[in-house]
Amino acid sequence: MNISGEHLVDAVKYLAAGIAMGLGAIGPAIGEGIAAAHALDGMARQPEMEPALLRTMIIGQAITESTGIYSLIVAIILLFVV
Amino acid sequence: MLERLGQKLILKVGQLGPVPVAFDLVTVIMCLIVSAILVLLALWFRRAIPADPEAPLNRRAAFLVGALDFFREQLLGGFPRELAQRLFPLITTLFLYVLLSNWISVIPGAQSPTQNEQVTLGFAFMVYFLSHYYAIRTKGARSHFRGYLEPYPFLLPMNVIGDFGRTLSHGFRLFGNIFGGAILTAIFLNLVARIITAVPVAIPFGLVFGVGLGTFLNAWFGVFIGAVQALVFALLASVYIRLTTA
Repeated sequence: MNISGEHLVDAVKYLAAGIAMGLGAIGPAIGEGIAAAHALDGMARQPEMEPALLRTMIIGQAITESTGIYSLIVAIILLFVV
Repeated sequence: MLERLGQKLILKVGQLGPVPVAFDLVTVIMCLIVSAILVLLALWFRRAIPADPEAPLNRRAAFLVGALDFFREQLLGGFPRELAQRLFPLITTLFLYVLLSNWISVIPGAQSPTQNEQVTLGFAFMVYFLSHYYAIRTKGARSHFRGYLEPYPFLLPMNVIGDFGRTLSHGFRLFGNIFGGAILTAIFLNLVARIITAVPVAIPFGLVFGVGLGTFLNAWFGVFIGAVQALVFALLASVYIRLTTA
């Protein structure tokens, strides 16, 4: 079995996409968990605030998710474009 | 396995200077289908509105009233009254369109228009330009563009780039979530198919498992994540417009 440069590029491409997605998923996961935990704290303390808290939590989580989405974009570009 | 996801039916129209002009036919057709469904639904609901305002509401009209109240409460709650009144049709349409675009991928063989980054970025840039339009309408062009010099004039590039990055991430968030869901569904189903073909005894069991898994993944990524992302997209659009007009 002889390995040419193209095979090497393919292998590194898939490896890089996996690493980018895996590492990039850590941050948003922790961040969204913290946001949900604090929103739950607030809801338990003041149940009448639940709709407002839920909406703000979802917006905050969506913005937190951005970094994860960026790494997904990088992984997609590595897989399909490079 | 993933080739099918990137599959596009491209119609090349011509050349606009150095930029090639082309249409992705699948996305265009799916967009038109979603629009057609929304228009038909709107006409169907409109027929339910009684001509006499004093008449008791029938079922469809009551649903319509409830849904509109819900949208006003959820998407534009806490907004100044006049701004909420002006934004309500835009934000609700955006929400319904994105929601139906996400949900339509539950039909086997149908592709979400929001799986294409050009559609979502188009919506995001529409929101970007509309936020400037509303800001100029409410504050006047002078005070709106002076806002870019706050807090210090040398931060102007930062403000412009920040605005732009916000819009890009607004569009890519929806695309990434929907496209990522499509990738995960494809990977899981492919995994099941490989296991089935490797172990011939497991074929009947694997078929049932595959169909069940496919249904579950479609329900999760299509219906649940689709609804959440549509809500987030419309909410962020309204928040961005409110931030620029404030």
